[in-house]
Order: sequence, then C-alpha cells, then structure tokens
Amino acid sequence: MAQRIQSRRVSNALLPYLTSSQSSSTSSISSTCPSSQLFSRQFSATAAPQTKLRRQMFQWLSTEGATLKHHIPGETNYLSGRAERDGDSNEAPRPFPGNRNFLSETVLSEELRNEVYVRVVEKKKSLRAVSVELGIDMKRIAAVVRLVEMERRQRAQGKPLALPYARAVHEMIPTTPLAQEGERQPFHEPINDLPAHPSTGAQIFYPVPESRSFTRVDAGRVFSGAPTLEKAVADKISHPSDLVDDIIENPNSIEWVGKGKNARQVLQPADVRIPHPQLVKLELDRKAFPNERRTVAQRHAERLEKQEAAEKQRRELAQARREKSIQHVEPERSRFEYRIQDAKFTKETVGVDGRAPWAPGRRYGIPAEDRKRGMVKIPTRVEA
Amino acid sequence: MVLRIRLARFGNKHTPFYNIVVAQARSARGAKPLEVIGTYNPIPKKPTNLYDDNANARPYKEIALDRARAKYWLGVGAQPSDPVWKLMGMAGLVEPKPTTFHKA
Repeated sequence: MAQRIQSRRVSNALLPYLTSSQSSSTSSISSTCPSSQLFSRQFSATAAPQTKLRRQMFQWLSTEGATLKHHIPGETNYLSGRAERDGDSNEAPRPFPGNRNFLSETVLSEELRNEVYVRVVEKKKSLRAVSVELGIDMKRIAAVVRLVEMERRQRAQGKPLALPYARAVHEMIPTTPLAQEGERQPFHEPINDLPAHPSTGAQIFYPVPESRSFTRVDAGRVFSGAPTLEKAVADKISHPSDLVDDIIENPNSIEWVGKGKNARQVLQPADVRIPHPQLVKLELDRKAFPNERRTVAQRHAERLEKQEAAEKQRRELAQARREKSIQHVEPERSRFEYRIQDAKFTKETVGVDGRAPWAPGRRYGIPAEDRKRGMVKIPTRVEA
Repeated sequence: MVLRIRLARFGNKHTPFYNIVVAQARSARGAKPLEVIGTYNPIPKKPTNLYDDNANARPYKEIALDRARAKYWLGVGAQPSDPVWKLMGMAGLVEPKPTTFHKA
C-alpha cells in the first residue's frame, strides 16, 4: 500500500515569509523557484494557483502588518488599540478585531504588586484596607501576597527566576501602574462586585400595597420564602446597610427558613453581602455631612477597625477550636511530628453499618473510586 | 481468642494508608474488623504557609483516633500490635514500650 503522506521534513510554510527581512512577492517565488514551492507544499500533488486570500495576506504582511513585527516596549502589540499607530488612545485594547467583546484586561505592574506586599506584610495593614486603597479585589491581594512571599523565598534559596520572560510579558500587555506621589491611584478593578445569587433568578409575582414600604431586605425575604418582617423590627431598619454591623459581629444571627434538607438562610440585601459593606455607610455619611470630611473619615476608620476586630476574633476562635481537637507530639528520636486528631467512630459519624461515605478512614466492601474518570484529586481552592 | 488493635493497610501501591482496627488476632489483615477506631497516614506531609520563623518545622504525619473506644478496648484486654503501641504511646493511652536498645 502506498504511503499517503510522504516522509519529508515538515515545516511551517509561512515561516520563510514571516521571518525573511525583505518582503518578497509570492508569485515570483512560485514561478522562479520550484524547489521552494515543492518544499512548502508537501501534502499536495497538484500545484495550486495562488489564491486571492493568500495574495492579500502577503500584501497585508508587507504593508500594515510590517509594523506589528516588532513590538514597542510598554505598549500592546494588538491589531487594534495601539495608540501610536491608530492615533486613538481611547480605544480599548482588543487583540482580536473580529471579537469586539474580548477586551485585554490590565494586569498588576511590578511596582503595584510590590506595594501590595509592602502594605500588607511590612506595614501590617489589613487586606480589606489595602483593597480599598489600591482598588484591587481582596482575593487578588491575598494571592499577590502569597506569590510575592514565594518569590522572595525562591530568591533567598538562590533558585532561578524567569525574569526575562516576566519583563517581556509586562512590556506587551496593559498594566495598572502604581500612582506617583500626589497622584490618585487608578483602580485596577471593581472591588465591590457581587455575583447574582441563584435564588434571585426566580420570577415571583408578589403584590405589595402602595402604602407599605418594600425594601431590599423585604425582597430578600420574598426570594428565600421567609415570612414578612414584623412591623416593629422593620421600622428599626432605616437603610439596608444598618444590618451590616450585627451580621459582621455575629454571622449566626441570620435567620433560617425551611426544614431538613431545604433549610436555608434568609437572603440578605446586597448591602450586606458585598465584599466591602462599610463603603456604603461611608458614601451615606459623605452625602449627609458634605462639609465634615475629617469626621466622616474618622467614623469610617472606626467602623473598619471594629469590623476587622470582629473578623479576627472569629478567625482566632475557629482556629482555637480546630487546634483543641489536635494533639501535636514531637518525639525526641523522630524526624517527624505526629498530629493526633480526635475522631468519633459512632453510629452517627460512620453510619449504621459503618460504611457511610463521609466517615473517617477507608471503607470495607466499597470500591475506591479514586481512579474513576472525572475524579478531581488536585486541590481546587486555597484557603485564604 | 485474643483481640488485637492493629493496622489494616489500605491505599494503592506506594501510597500506604492504615485504618487502626480492633480485630481477632488470627483474622486476615484485609478482613472486616470488629471495629475501626482510627486512621494513620504514614506519608509525611510538609506543613504549608511556612514563614521564616517556622521554616524548619518538622514534616508531620496524621493520626485520627477515637480515644474513648481505644480506652474501652484496652480495658477489656485487647492487645495493641507494636506499631499501634507506638502510636497509642504518643497519644498517652498506654505506657511507651521500653526500647530494647540504648543509644550510647
């Protein structure tokens, strides 16, 4: 049987044109050097004529496309949105002109990410405060701190870093700079975004008398199927953000509805669920006292402090509870530390037949499914 | 017949994992035991989130143990095997076994 594909060296047919310094017309190549044609068209037996699109492509490469061959440091090298070439600095950088919805988002610049680390680790500011100051999402702040920490450790250990790569990438993608002294720090991303809660997807027809006030708090209760708030309680809430303080102090104070498997907490208004609820209060204060900037800032700082203290206390309590059930033993003659955790092997924890899938230890008579398709074994999230 | 508190090996090749079980001494290692009272993972884990102050922390091995059940079984005469004796000694449930050798 004849070989379908001849065993010749495979090469990227476009490469000679893209890499050659002189932009040569392709028609001359196909006519004058048959060996090169043969070389670039290995998989075809017939000599195809130059197509129109192909001709246009080479024309573009020699005219407009030539400017894209080398990137200008500090600027993106996208087909659209390049300020110098297009004379249009306002246009958002779009790497794919055919896809108008794809925007190239900015990344943190070196200086900005180092500043994040300095503020969190060296100046001991809270993630929340740094997030508001620099306009970076709290999760990103936490990730930056972890990664810079890792980088510093690698530097200390003398491990090689891919610095030329990082430099080249940072030259070619849009970055958020760190503001100079006296400048206003540009926000990297919206920090108070809230994903749509699944229970708000239901279309509910809920008639309310015009005389009754119906706020976001009430809407949340309707969505979660909770009874209406009593009037005495509802009257105390002048703005949905009033609920924030209580819930931050005691998250367990959120009411539950439903029974058994259907039990769920009452959906809170967005003012409570957003990452930085204290910013709502700040804005309300600013509006109410436009001339007392210092007082407003002070009140904001106090609220922030209170919130952080409450969160810290809660974290420490949880950690202490976890630690209480673990005994650390470090034998003298061992290289290892042994962590002995209290476990309860009772009917409730391992099931009536001792085979409950959530029970500690490995099970008897139940196949291990760790080799099954689709079982995710790598960690999928990092505890902050 | 003697009751033993011993280890029952689970896990794949090169990834041992043990249930600490109470079983009849002459039953097979993989047989269904009277009771599972704990687990032991002999593969040491590196502590995460190491900062400069605790960078030299020891790798750790995880043990889970139901102390109440262990005490009960010891009380009714179950005999720990040597490896389990070592683990229970660290948990403070039995006196550590005297070593047969002494370092000079």
